[in-house]
Amino acid sequence: MGDIVEEIRAAYGRVGITLDRPATYGTYYRLLCAGCGKMVGNVGDRLLPGMAAALVEQQFDLYATGGLGCPCGHQREVTRGGDPARWEAAQRRHGESA
Amino acid sequence: MSEMTEIDEAEARGRTELWPFWRRVYAQGDPLPRFAAPAGTPRHRFDEGDGLPEEYRGLLLKMLRHEGERAGNKSFLGFMATCLDLAEAIFPDATSRLIKAEYLAEELKHAIMFHRLAVGLERDFALKDVPYAHYAFHLPRETWADDAYFHFFVDLNGAFHARDWRESSYVPLAKMSATVERDELGHSEMGYYFLQRICETPRGKAVAQHLLGKWYPAALDMFGRSDSPNVPKFIGWGLKSVGNAEIREAYKTYVDAKLAALGLDLPDERAHRRFL
Repeated sequence: MGDIVEEIRAAYGRVGITLDRPATYGTYYRLLCAGCGKMVGNVGDRLLPGMAAALVEQQFDLYATGGLGCPCGHQREVTRGGDPARWEAAQRRHGESA
Repeated sequence: MSEMTEIDEAEARGRTELWPFWRRVYAQGDPLPRFAAPAGTPRHRFDEGDGLPEEYRGLLLKMLRHEGERAGNKSFLGFMATCLDLAEAIFPDATSRLIKAEYLAEELKHAIMFHRLAVGLERDFALKDVPYAHYAFHLPRETWADDAYFHFFVDLNGAFHARDWRESSYVPLAKMSATVERDELGHSEMGYYFLQRICETPRGKAVAQHLLGKWYPAALDMFGRSDSPNVPKFIGWGLKSVGNAEIREAYKTYVDAKLAALGLDLPDERAHRRFL
């Protein structure tokens, strides 16, 4: 499972989320805000190859508009810095609901 | 008084207006489709302690490995811990968090029931650690909507399989199937209740719509490949009544109606699928 865990770690690192140590027998991991350390979710290590990156990529708009991520706003800022044009587009797309 | 009777009584005392969620659903009639084995399928019947044909035992153990809810399966208990951990981190209100604790209590009841069944079948298996293999159990849950989808979809998968076990040729499994089916349907309804609350606001509904694209393909994938070579063997031995494609289709009909009632757009059923 090592490769999958590293995939997950890299994918979440791009949006400002850290993969914590294994929480239960090496199968599930907490997701922590890289800004303040708050737990923002969890994930298991049986995702299929390539799946973690695809899921995080698909959730870009949610991180950018605060639908996902920490209340401290760290993921919002990280996605803004990583791809400002896409971030602005997400604000426009989700303007009414965000 | 048996241990299970005590648990039943404790459950009854713990009922609230909302919990258990299965109560209102079954009060309106049988919510799930009935499955019937193809005409001419041989009738088998095995009880605890009976000598089991080697192929039958292997298939039964394979099925129970996938099911996973056993007290001796430390990975199952670990997974339950993640549910509580997540609820503690992202619960929207105190009532929701308490409801999640009711859910955990009921899953732990299943762990006792399946443990008893496993001990009667094969003691080594009763203690076997089997992490959930399907990716649906490992998808990231980063918001209450994720968690709601997990329960709505994944616990409903359990309810559909438990419905099929009503006619199981393995008597201990058939005996407990109605309870497991009812409870798992209730867990799915719990997830649906949370989704209803989430979809009451435009922002919540937008998040739910977005996340549906993550959970819907995983939910359909959970039934396995339509051409799985093991299915005819399961049906032949009376461990299943229908194939993966049929039970998936019945499940899809059920969830599509519920999702449409939330006002959500249904994803393409073939998009992002891994097990067609």
